[in-house]
Amino acid sequence: MKPIIEFRKVSKSFGETEVLHDISLTIVENEVVVLVGPSGSGKSTLLRCINGLEMVTSGDLVVNQIHLPRQKRSVREIRKEVGMVFQLFYLFPHMTALENVAFGPKKVRGFSRREANHIAQDLLDKVGLGDRGHHLPSELSGGQQQRVAIARALAVKPKVMLFDEPTSALDPELREEVLNVMTLVAQEGMTMMVVSHEMSFAKKAGTRLLFMDDGRIDEDGDPAELLLNPQTERLQNFLRHVGY
Amino acid sequence: MTFEWSIIVESLPSLIEGAKLSWYIAITGIVGGLVLGTVAGLMRIAGTRAVGGRTYGFSLFLSRISQLVAFGYIELIRGTPIIVQAMFIYFALPLLIEVITGLRGVRFDAVTAAIITIMINAGAYMAEIVRGAVQSVNKGLVEAGMAMGISRLQLIASVISPIAFRRAIPPLGNQFIISLKDTSLFIVIGVGELTRQGQEIMASNFRALEIWSAVAICYLIMTSALALTLRFIEKRMRKI
Ligand SMILES: Nc1ncnc2c1ncn2[C@@H]1O[C@H](COP(=O)(O)OP(=O)(O)OP(=O)(O)O)[C@@H](O)[C@H]1O
Ligand SMILES: [Mg+2]
Repeated sequence: MKPIIEFRKVSKSFGETEVLHDISLTIVENEVVVLVGPSGSGKSTLLRCINGLEMVTSGDLVVNQIHLPRQKRSVREIRKEVGMVFQLFYLFPHMTALENVAFGPKKVRGFSRREANHIAQDLLDKVGLGDRGHHLPSELSGGQQQRVAIARALAVKPKVMLFDEPTSALDPELREEVLNVMTLVAQEGMTMMVVSHEMSFAKKAGTRLLFMDDGRIDEDGDPAELLLNPQTERLQNFLRHVGY
Repeated sequence: MTFEWSIIVESLPSLIEGAKLSWYIAITGIVGGLVLGTVAGLMRIAGTRAVGGRTYGFSLFLSRISQLVAFGYIELIRGTPIIVQAMFIYFALPLLIEVITGLRGVRFDAVTAAIITIMINAGAYMAEIVRGAVQSVNKGLVEAGMAMGISRLQLIASVISPIAFRRAIPPLGNQFIISLKDTSLFIVIGVGELTRQGQEIMASNFRALEIWSAVAICYLIMTSALALTLRFIEKRMRKI
């Protein structure tokens, strides 16, 4: 059980406002951590600190043996090992699905165009879009775009995958196809951190559930147990609120 | 007073010579201006989120300096008339060079001064166009690129530029046309471009109606050619 992400008393402020307070948290390899919490509680910020899209203000954040903020100049090395999937997909609009997925292998890992296309085609097959490679993002449904975005992140061969509300911009009938792909990735042993209010996914694929409130992690435990038996009133209220 | 077509036919060879020179100055100046404008536009927003997020240490220092230099250049050019810029480059710059370096007799010929003027002038306006186009690229796309671990340069080259370029084409086209028409101002430094050719023919035969109609149409043909080329490029790119 090798730790791959370690928050040691990490805080993050935007200007004067502190939004993460003294977080300590260790994620080990193969964990599938589902992160829930009310809006504005700091879930996205926590994820974005891990790959340096936001820089922590104090404490020590160790990702794949690189320390932030001390080694912030090496943040690119972290990003190569940490893939990210966003709520709004953010596929490159001028590239086809295949080009989007081949981009990482080519530009980050230095594969030839042929090899990169091969890797990309395999991943598109895996997410069930093997026949959509030549389409532009604008020609794909939201669910398809998000699956391409997952393939694009996987193509860089990261050790960790971060998902920030990957299904919340999708119509309910498109969520399942994305969650299925995520479950598949989890089953293959990927270390994952997922911000999501899909409790079915947390129970099925999650190995750990974190409840964040107001910049702190208030609960941390086994998903099935926590959902059955939430300790704090805040989590009970929250679960009721998301309709669980 | 009648409209004499023969006057136009007679003066056509000189007008075409002038038009060729105007076209040459404009195109050379625009191409140079595009390079200068792209560099200045990117320098103006170096180290900001629009081009890959903040920098640290020495690169932070460098990006601040770049921003300042680009800002100074853009404001200097936007804040002065192009005719003054042309006069300055043609008459004053050689003197300035002499004052600074002690080199005497450095002089540009009028056409070179004209090209440099268009380049520097168009460059400043194009820098603002480039900056606007780059800043209009969705921040999420920039972050998605960064999150993959590509370098800033790769991010700018493969993600930001292709998207920004599409946005920039219409305003760039506009600037191309303005620059082409601005070449008519070089009459003041004695460049034999289209307007000056017209002026000279006019001075010898006083046929204002025919000559200025012909000159106007020559400009119209050249600006249309520019506009059509840009529309063609726009059409050929993938719709996004
Ligand atoms: N770039 C920023 N500048 C200033 N404040 C910010 C910035 N990003 C986030 N915040 C603030 O930090 C706090 C945490 O935001 P964050 O986006 O991490 O919450 P979240 O839990 O992801 O919420 P949601 O469920 O709505 O996505 C909020 O109060 C937010 O206003
Ligand atoms: Mg969020």
